[in-house]
Amino acid sequence: MKQAERISTVTTATEMPTAPAPARPPHIVVSDLIIKYGAYTAVHGVSFDIPKGEHLTLLGPSGCGKTTTLRSIAGLEQPFSGEILIDGQPVYSSSRRINVQTEKRGVSMVFQSYAIWPHMTVFENVAYGLRVRKIPAEAIRAAVEKSLDLVQMRRYADRPASQLSGGQQQRVALARAIAFEPSVVLFDEPLSNLDAKLRGEMRVELKDLQRTLGISSVYVTHDQEEAFAISDRVVIMNEGRIEQIGGPLDIYDRPRNSFVADFVGSANLVDGRVEEAASASGLITFRTQSGLAIKAFSPRPVRGDETQVAIRTAYIGLGATATSHANRIEGLVARRMFHGDFVQYLIDWPAGQLVVRRPPAELIEEGQTITIAFDAEHCVLLEASKKGSKGGENR
Amino acid sequence: MALQSIDAAAGPRRRGLGLTSQGIITAVILLVCGFLVLYPLFFLFAESLNVGDPQVFPPQRVGIGNYVDMLFDWRIIGNTLKVALFSTGIAVTIGFVLAWVLTRTDIPGRAVLERLMEVPFYVTPLVGALSWSILAAPQSGFLNQAWAYFGGSNRIIDVYTPMGVAWVMALFEGSVAFVMISAAMKSMDPALEEGARVMGASKLRTMITVTLPLVAPGVLGAAIFVFAEMLGSFAAALVLGIPGHFYVITTAIWELTLSYPPDYGRASALGISLFLIMFATLAFYRWLVRKGAYSTISGKAFRPRRMQMGRWTWVLAGFCWLYVFVAVVMPLGALVLTSFQRFATVLMHQAQFTTQNYWTAFSLASVRDAIVNSLMLGFGTATIGVFVMVLLVWIIYRSRMPGAGIVEYMVMFPQAVPRMVFGLAILWAWLNMPVSLYGSLWLLGIGYFTVLLPLGVRTLAGVVLQVDKSLEECARVCGASWTHQLRTITLPLLKPGILAAWLLLFIASVRELGVSIYLMGPNSKVIAPAIVSSWSSAGTELTAAMAVIQTLTIFIAVMLMFWVTARLSKQGNES
Repeated sequence: MKQAERISTVTTATEMPTAPAPARPPHIVVSDLIIKYGAYTAVHGVSFDIPKGEHLTLLGPSGCGKTTTLRSIAGLEQPFSGEILIDGQPVYSSSRRINVQTEKRGVSMVFQSYAIWPHMTVFENVAYGLRVRKIPAEAIRAAVEKSLDLVQMRRYADRPASQLSGGQQQRVALARAIAFEPSVVLFDEPLSNLDAKLRGEMRVELKDLQRTLGISSVYVTHDQEEAFAISDRVVIMNEGRIEQIGGPLDIYDRPRNSFVADFVGSANLVDGRVEEAASASGLITFRTQSGLAIKAFSPRPVRGDETQVAIRTAYIGLGATATSHANRIEGLVARRMFHGDFVQYLIDWPAGQLVVRRPPAELIEEGQTITIAFDAEHCVLLEASKKGSKGGENR
Repeated sequence: MALQSIDAAAGPRRRGLGLTSQGIITAVILLVCGFLVLYPLFFLFAESLNVGDPQVFPPQRVGIGNYVDMLFDWRIIGNTLKVALFSTGIAVTIGFVLAWVLTRTDIPGRAVLERLMEVPFYVTPLVGALSWSILAAPQSGFLNQAWAYFGGSNRIIDVYTPMGVAWVMALFEGSVAFVMISAAMKSMDPALEEGARVMGASKLRTMITVTLPLVAPGVLGAAIFVFAEMLGSFAAALVLGIPGHFYVITTAIWELTLSYPPDYGRASALGISLFLIMFATLAFYRWLVRKGAYSTISGKAFRPRRMQMGRWTWVLAGFCWLYVFVAVVMPLGALVLTSFQRFATVLMHQAQFTTQNYWTAFSLASVRDAIVNSLMLGFGTATIGVFVMVLLVWIIYRSRMPGAGIVEYMVMFPQAVPRMVFGLAILWAWLNMPVSLYGSLWLLGIGYFTVLLPLGVRTLAGVVLQVDKSLEECARVCGASWTHQLRTITLPLLKPGILAAWLLLFIASVRELGVSIYLMGPNSKVIAPAIVSSWSSAGTELTAAMAVIQTLTIFIAVMLMFWVTARLSKQGNES
């Protein structure tokens, strides 16, 4: 089954977050980055790296330090300490007193506000990076047209940039960022100002573009759907620290702690303790506070101080879909809420209340007693949180 | 392919944390501005402690004698406070009523009136005082002439009195109060008032329980600010106070430095004291603003709800037009009328009209030079000023350089120094410099630049901060150096705003009096002090012609400025 493969990749990714696939040399390396604003520390020693051609996303709630980290890669923010390497060359290093000016770093960036220069035409905007590099006019024309083609904006080339709609500005910003063929492109929440439908379309285009160009990219967003949809790997950040690094599926299936489980997707957090941590396969038995024994899974060697498991709301079967044999429990449907793409049920079960999301095709009435079932692999043991138990309540 | 070379050129190149073009330019500008602002004040302070021969510097004997002597000047200090309080009271009352009428009621012709409210500010207190002395001098004033003609006995009005000084100051500072208070009123969320109405309060009750308490901090702030300005105001007291031997601190300083031998020590002590009072007042103002007493001012402009005033409409509109009449139409009318007459009179059957005054103004070398010099200085100060001030604004608000806050304080400092005290300080500082600039236009230019720093930086900050920071960052990411970014992105984006700021600085230079009056030499005359000296030595009619020329120059620049800003806001709406 697929499950097994998934688990094996998860363990390597979460245990050694900075170790990339060996075949691809790291393109960007960020190590021990600390960024301070006066007395306030925005980023507390963050390290990760990006192999050539990889699309990495920094995902986290606002104020988690993701944009600050991105801006310090671009050289728009001066870190307090740490090191940033691009192509093996340090562009910032506190120990070696190196701080390469933004314009010498050879990275490109798409800004949240698009930063389209209103006093230029579309063509001039896109040509800017090429003109700075003193490319012959012919080559500039060709390169600008090529990148405008890529974003389907060529026919707007002579428009004043101030007359573009939001979506068009977004495309021009993208064309401008790739026109001078940078090997690294940084994205600072580039889609957050677009409406939901356009955002969806642009996601697809971005993903295609990344494939076509073969660039490495760092992408910042607070939108988890966006992060999952377009990236190879995701870095979950919170309060200036990295909570987890891994592929989108790894992070969804194997959240490392209660913050990740809670922030990414929707999950039920159940309090209790590890009763039996036996086999090398990671299967354990978890005893909830109410005394219920659940078969669960630990992606890491059990330390013994863990107090929570997370069960994704989408991985729980109800009634007819309760096919798993690992955990089968009776519950009562207390409340049903119709959301459109899914239906959310609140189910009273021996460990409190459980949130379950099912497709609208299989409606279950309120007040019904029903079987709940989920796999041990979908009931993931979380690392004990260092700073008090925040996600203690049962979701 | 050509594009191949791009990566190589843009590849990381090591650059230390040390000297960059940005760093060097920043350091130079800061040193120069710091020198210009602080050095004169240091000299003024040193001189105020000089109790030896006041002409000798550095002082041979140091003491606080000059400050002790001020005890004998208590009447002058009292006069200053009296006039400042009085005129502040009138100015804030005028400003409040005008602001309320124009922002919160539906009287007709609001747009025109709002524009006209700015005119007194551009007329300048000097021209205002001259005009009012033409209107209301005890014997020859037009109002008294007319009164006598229609059979009135005695004179009806005398502007050469403390009340007259306060009245003229209030009239021309009223538009400042108006601008500040109407800003407070415009930034109040109308929902706050609507909330009261929905809860069942009447119009009047809403006004008393919601509107007034919310606007009160704004009004108080305006009052304090205007009061500080009044303390340092010079022109009205010079033109209207001295004939009646009524002195305030600024005119007393002027007399002390004009007497023979000039007593620079005592003048400096008075100047430093006035500076301290004004500084304390403005510090109090800033503290009030910081404390958040201005919670109604959210920085967001709301569309205020206008009240229908019914029968009161005409009373309120009348008040606004009355202000325009008294502060603009009447004084300027009198000024223009006088400038075309052989002898100033309002009685038309006695009038002898002539254009001779203008011919004299343009043919008399000293007057012609003053006009030409003022224009040259205006162009020079505005051009160099705008360039340096844009860089300063960028350094203060964008560079994130450590100590940018201190630089901001330093640049804003001249705001807290009365103009003519700063003029005295600059004069004294440069008289004691190895380089002799005294009597040259250069010194005037330096003086103008220094005292106009706050105005220019504040105006340009508004312009610069409107430009999204990422527009500049993006240029750097695209590979442009700082200087290239300034040239291709920052300056072009700021162009219309810079043009407006240029015109504002030009206007401020041409109307400048306090600094000019001290720094002007026999070969570097400028218009405003020339008007003052013509007033005391030559005839009223010639002076009026000169004042009309100055006012006209300013108005042309103002018109240009309005045109530029109108285009600017139109451009802003398109993007």
